[in-house]
Amino acid sequence: MRVDPNFVSNLAGSLNQTQATLQQLTAQLSSGVRVTSLSQDPLASGQNVLLLNQIQQDDTFTQSSSMVKGQLQVADSALGSVVGQLTQAIALATSANNGTMNSSNLKSIANQISGILDEVQSLANTSYQGQYIFAGGQTSSAPFSTSTGTSPAVTSYNGDENINYLEMPNGEKIQLNLPGDQIFSGSGANNVFAALNNLVADYSSGTINTTQAVSDTQALSTALNFVSQQRVSLDNSITHLTAASDAATNEQTQLTAAQTNLMQADVAHLSTQLALAESQQTALESVIAQLGSASNSLFSKL
Amino acid sequence: MGTISSAFSIMSQALQADQAALNVVANNVANASTPGYTEETPNWQENQPIVINGVSYGTGATESGATSIRDHVLLERLNQQQQLASASGSRLAALNTVQALFTPDSGSTSSQAGDIGSGITSFFSSFSSIEANPTNSSLRQQVLSSATTLAGDLSNAAASLNSQRSALDQDAAGVTSQVNALTSSIAALNQQIQSTSPGADAGTLEDQRQQDLSQLSKLIGINQISTENNGLSITTTSGQLLVSEGSNFQLATGMVGGVSHFFVGTLDVTSQLASGGGQLGGYLTARDEDIPSVLNSLDQLAYSISTQVNTLNNAGTDMAGDNGNAGNIFSAPAQVAGAALSISVVMTDPNHIAAAGLGQGTGDNSNATAMASLAKQLIVNGQSPSNYYSKFVTTLGSTVSGVETENTAQTASVTQLQTQNDSLSAVNLNNEASSLTTLERTYQAASQVFAMLNTIMASVLNMGEQTTVS
Repeated sequence: MRVDPNFVSNLAGSLNQTQATLQQLTAQLSSGVRVTSLSQDPLASGQNVLLLNQIQQDDTFTQSSSMVKGQLQVADSALGSVVGQLTQAIALATSANNGTMNSSNLKSIANQISGILDEVQSLANTSYQGQYIFAGGQTSSAPFSTSTGTSPAVTSYNGDENINYLEMPNGEKIQLNLPGDQIFSGSGANNVFAALNNLVADYSSGTINTTQAVSDTQALSTALNFVSQQRVSLDNSITHLTAASDAATNEQTQLTAAQTNLMQADVAHLSTQLALAESQQTALESVIAQLGSASNSLFSKL
Repeated sequence: MGTISSAFSIMSQALQADQAALNVVANNVANASTPGYTEETPNWQENQPIVINGVSYGTGATESGATSIRDHVLLERLNQQQQLASASGSRLAALNTVQALFTPDSGSTSSQAGDIGSGITSFFSSFSSIEANPTNSSLRQQVLSSATTLAGDLSNAAASLNSQRSALDQDAAGVTSQVNALTSSIAALNQQIQSTSPGADAGTLEDQRQQDLSQLSKLIGINQISTENNGLSITTTSGQLLVSEGSNFQLATGMVGGVSHFFVGTLDVTSQLASGGGQLGGYLTARDEDIPSVLNSLDQLAYSISTQVNTLNNAGTDMAGDNGNAGNIFSAPAQVAGAALSISVVMTDPNHIAAAGLGQGTGDNSNATAMASLAKQLIVNGQSPSNYYSKFVTTLGSTVSGVETENTAQTASVTQLQTQNDSLSAVNLNNEASSLTTLERTYQAASQVFAMLNTIMASVLNMGEQTTVS
């Protein structure tokens, strides 16, 4: 039986291999990352891309929704103030309609209602971070303006009907705004500004046409209910947004845990492997030292 | 008739034969570390006996040279495995460099800059951010910055791949001069061997020829064909003749389409060489298959993302008054090939990002929503951008992992065959020591017999005489 006289040099090749294993394990342990190159775990690398993608989408949505929530809350509180103003206007008109007021009182009421109209218009022209929130898509200019050329005056809407939606990571959409004319310039008796302007016109001359005034007051009341109804859809958006944002944060936490599990090194496992590799290397080195020593051929005995 | 003088001549021949055999042993020991040296054994031959009157008388033995102990089949097998191992080795080295460009993002805050997957996600997320606030200038600027990052990642990766490709090109071209030197050396050895020992193993010359063959196998995939009179023909794995009898055919390089191609005579053998084995095979496979495939994937990504985003941006309204021709965000690629290398951001003014729909006011966000949704649409070869990149990463990792496994197995096979060959042909000092001892004793015995014959001769000479000759 013949043996390979060069087997000791082959052992050196094995030593290189154990060295390489040691280096790899040390690198993994020090960086804390299990998958340092694609070939170590191709499936995990691919999955990692998708997980990180989803995590970042959730994160972006959470940030956007907190920004948007501010805007929605501003819109909601503006409408709340509008409801307050309109309630006051209705109270004034009602008191004017009971027939006990004289001319100067009526004119005074007309002025107060005119003041309320200015206030409501100003609320309808609310802006958030420089953009008019009740203007539909034309957010760079104030949507409502009143021209006093005629009596009753006419308040016109210069915005458009555009509604913006925020898309959630799962594809659902949350409404972000209401066009101003849908709230304040609704058709028929839902038109807040028309009602206010009519009332101002009714009382400003000092004399009152009771039937007309009562009908206009009724219209204002209807319009106020309409505004409250529109406000509900904004409140719904806020609720929806909060729930969606919480869900996104939860999902982000779970996915981050999954991604960490996938990619991070298991320290206990690595330490064990490292210890084994080190002892293997030491053993190999002493074998080589022993076998490679000078006197191991027959010549030394001759 | 056996005579004392014939016994003398037999013994002196024996002493010479032992001397020659000792020379062979000494030669073996001296060449114990010479690479490619094959152990030689002395050839002992019995001399033809003489027959006189029906009685045969022996005439001793001679030592007629040394024979190298070699197994041609084993050597050929070793060379074949060496070709495979070299091919997968050089391909693996190239692939490791390629995959280093796409190291997985660890997800920590100090994650690798230049990760394309994160670049894609950040870019489309920047449009999602605009949905909430379409006119915000810092959010719009963020769109352009993340576009620049993505374009930079893609074009840097493509540039690295291109430069690696030309490095491989140079490596491959450099192999040809070594190949040509070896084939001409083998051709010269063929001539010598065929003229000096056409019928038997050529000893040291054959050692050199095998050594050249072994070196050649590391470089290029070859087939060996033994011809008459101890000759050797060598062809490439696909059959192109490189060495025949005493002449060799040069491997030449020339540039075709920006890369080096290889010619034997006028025949372009590049694609056959790529699948043939050896270092050259590995380099060419990496250069002509692996790297172009990766580049193509990156090109698809770059082309799809830039054309889709540009199209959408030109289908909306921006903040600078453009309604339907707000301009391109990315440079428009003419075709898929080369799109990754040339992608860049051409838009400088964030006001030209068309977040609003066509004909809408600037507060509208419908076009921004559409651009953000591109991240989920199947715009890159039937997949969404992130899915496409994820599959690309997995495919590349699997390829490299497969080549790694191949290479480990083939290298182990080479080691095993090398061990087998060494146990047969390498100088074993223990064997030489025991041969030495045996020959020494034989020599002593022969010289002792010689001395006895001398004494007998003296007795013969002294027969019938009173005086003694000693």
